Amino acid sequence: MPHRVVLLAAVLSTLFLYGCDERAAVRVAGSSTVLPVISRAAEQFRVDHPEVNVIVNAGGSGVGINQLGEGKIDVGMSSRELTAAERDRYPEADFRIHAVGLDAVVPAVSSEIYEAGVTSLSLDQIADIYRGEIGNWRGVGGPDRDILVVDKEASRGTRHVFMEAVFGDGGAEAPGADLVLGSNNEEQTAVTQSDAAIGMLSVAWLNEDVRGLAIDMEDSSVVSPTPERMAAGKYPITRELLLITTGTPEGSARQFLEFLLSADGQRIVEEAGYVRLR
Amino acid sequence: MSVSGRIGKGFVVGSTLVSASVIFLIGVFLLLYSWDAVVREGWLLFGGTWNPADGRFGILAMLYGTAAVTAIALVVALPLGLATAVFTAEILPGRYRLAVKSALELLAGIPSIVYGLVAVALVSVWIEDLFALQTGRTVLSAGLILAVMILPTMITLSDDALHHVPRRYREAAEALGLYRFEVVRRAVWPIARTDVAGAALLALGRAMGETMATMLVVGGVDRLPGSPADVLLPGQTITSKLGREMAETAFGSVHFSAMIFMGLVLFVFVLGLTMVALIYFYHPEDRRYV
Amino acid sequence: MKRISRHWINRCFVFAAWTAAGLCGLLLAGLLAAITWKGMGAMNPEFLLTRARDFGSAGGIFYQLAGSLLLVVAAALLCFPVAVGTALFKSEYLRSKRLKHLSTLLVYGLNGVPSIIFGIFGLIFFVNVLDTGVSWFVGSVILAMMMLPTVVQAAYQAIESIPTMYRESARALGLSKWQIVVKVLLPQGLGGAITGLFLGLARAVGETAPIMFIATAFSGVDVPGSLFEPVTTLPTHLLALAQQATDPQALQNAWGTGLVLMGLVTCFSVLGLVSRTKLRRFSQR
Repeated sequence: MPHRVVLLAAVLSTLFLYGCDERAAVRVAGSSTVLPVISRAAEQFRVDHPEVNVIVNAGGSGVGINQLGEGKIDVGMSSRELTAAERDRYPEADFRIHAVGLDAVVPAVSSEIYEAGVTSLSLDQIADIYRGEIGNWRGVGGPDRDILVVDKEASRGTRHVFMEAVFGDGGAEAPGADLVLGSNNEEQTAVTQSDAAIGMLSVAWLNEDVRGLAIDMEDSSVVSPTPERMAAGKYPITRELLLITTGTPEGSARQFLEFLLSADGQRIVEEAGYVRLR
Repeated sequence: MSVSGRIGKGFVVGSTLVSASVIFLIGVFLLLYSWDAVVREGWLLFGGTWNPADGRFGILAMLYGTAAVTAIALVVALPLGLATAVFTAEILPGRYRLAVKSALELLAGIPSIVYGLVAVALVSVWIEDLFALQTGRTVLSAGLILAVMILPTMITLSDDALHHVPRRYREAAEALGLYRFEVVRRAVWPIARTDVAGAALLALGRAMGETMATMLVVGGVDRLPGSPADVLLPGQTITSKLGREMAETAFGSVHFSAMIFMGLVLFVFVLGLTMVALIYFYHPEDRRYV
Repeated sequence: MKRISRHWINRCFVFAAWTAAGLCGLLLAGLLAAITWKGMGAMNPEFLLTRARDFGSAGGIFYQLAGSLLLVVAAALLCFPVAVGTALFKSEYLRSKRLKHLSTLLVYGLNGVPSIIFGIFGLIFFVNVLDTGVSWFVGSVILAMMMLPTVVQAAYQAIESIPTMYRESARALGLSKWQIVVKVLLPQGLGGAITGLFLGLARAVGETAPIMFIATAFSGVDVPGSLFEPVTTLPTHLLALAQQATDPQALQNAWGTGLVLMGLVTCFSVLGLVSRTKLRRFSQR
């Protein structure tokens, strides 16, 4: 038996020594909307800076801001502005906000509904759907089918921005919701699986099964979320993709932010389906 | 006592203390960190509305969801598992037993996240088509996938219970000219039934605490249905709520504390079930664990 | 008349048992077949040996596989000494029957604690109170706690199965209590603990809920640079993939990941089975 004990000790001590070797790491977490940009950028960044490890985690904008406030991460990803409550919660944290791209939150419907003729809605109609007052697509000129209303978890930045535009309150309740899901991926899956769903999605997640609706404006123009209209601020639910740090970023975090704002970084923003800033 | 003896005893006592403290540590920390919510919210914690934005933390919808999925799982798995155990223990020739037991062990070992994938990619789609629903992410889907998950445990524990009834009881009953049904009912069942009840309680505890499969397929809506039998609607269980929302809460907030409170409720329930099963029904000292 | 109805009841009873068994067999075999069949579609050397790209919908799972193994192996190393020590104490030093029963209850109670509770506990105790950050180390400690009951119980039963005669003869030879423990009981206990360890590993490697808040990162981690960095694992990767279940490529990779995870679980279970058989032979020697 002794040789086994020796072996065990050897393995343990190797592990421990291994544990002492630290590389520079930038810890990033938060919004699943910003995530595709950051995880692609991190892959690219590592090629040029092999000594730095960019560790990326999802969770939602709220999670990113909380973890940043608690000092667990170096950079928070957020798809919305910080709320006053969040600033109050971490009075000693000096939040600095860095925009890296533009995004639109789009009411997204199952392709069956889009093809049946519902290609645009007004913000009031969307509000009625999420309030539960319109329960059938007939109510907005669509086919006679019950609407599957897909909501998002409260901490999601996409929801916050959407609800802000639709109800004027980012934390509004949606009594009409049939499903409450998390990430953009999960939301997209539910809308695809259904043939009568509406959800809220970032523009980068639209495809032939999940179609984005244009918005009927009060001046009776119809605005669809094209890059040009988003860049011009015409689409009503547009937002910036944000990275948040506490204090002025330094070292590897600073390098990473600079990379994102460089031409290469901005190209990644565009490849991920968003609109570049410069 | 020699030096090595003393060190040895110290090590042995120390590791026992570590092992024994784990479960207390978990309980104490859950209690400690849910205290804030208990003090501030009191009985409101058992209310029907959960909305962190307005500071409302009622866990009733989650309690209902947990009860409903567990009940569905048990209603399906208990009769099916027990009848199958009767087959493996009383009808199947003994030489196949090892193979069946090994297969069941393999099935019991499938990770819950794999069941989650099966649930979200297959079961929810079937349920949606079968009942022509808007969405297949329902309490029923979660209950059914849990039933499949606990089925191997249910079968193997009930099979053990039946198998441990000494042969002579069966032989005596057979000698009286009883049919197999009567042998099982009159000779085997009275002895095995406490162990079967224990097995059911353990399976119940497991279903209650399952997270990944439930979380992916239950729907995530914290709302009480019109009637408790409306299981074709999306719902939320304690575990799915914890899995989805735990990471979103800020440490030290009432929201965080209310989430921990939910964890405490689950912990107490499952531990209680396990203890009742072990003390009154199922006697682990009688059988080999490995 | 009476006789005929008894006969029919019996027939129905046997028929019901057969039907239930057939149904369960079909259900469970269908489940295994579906996982295997769908998983095989993704299986190729590239899938196993390259890194994940595009949220895991492209590329492979090499680092997830490596990360899962790192996480559970470290957990096993942490769990092993504590479990063996506990088993020795229980069998050799604990005299009172009631205390023995209590310790069994504690072990089984811990075994029954839902996995998500371990995750929450880890989040409070390690990540927030001790401020260790989300890391490999914390994940391993929590998984070690989850494995503890299985390993303790396996080691304990292996030690208990040593005939009293061995202990008596050792005592007659003038060995001290600790010498008996080291020379006679420990070898058998270690064997049992190794069996338990494999079974514990089979459970731990598939666990998602305990580690998803406290040990893993979504991307950017290949092999963690130190024990205090996050890892990336198969179960959490599968969780991310299962949430995009309509993207055919992601779904394909999800099934592949599921199959690999099942393969790992089965490997550990089989190792446990083999080691158990070996152990039996030893104790009958």
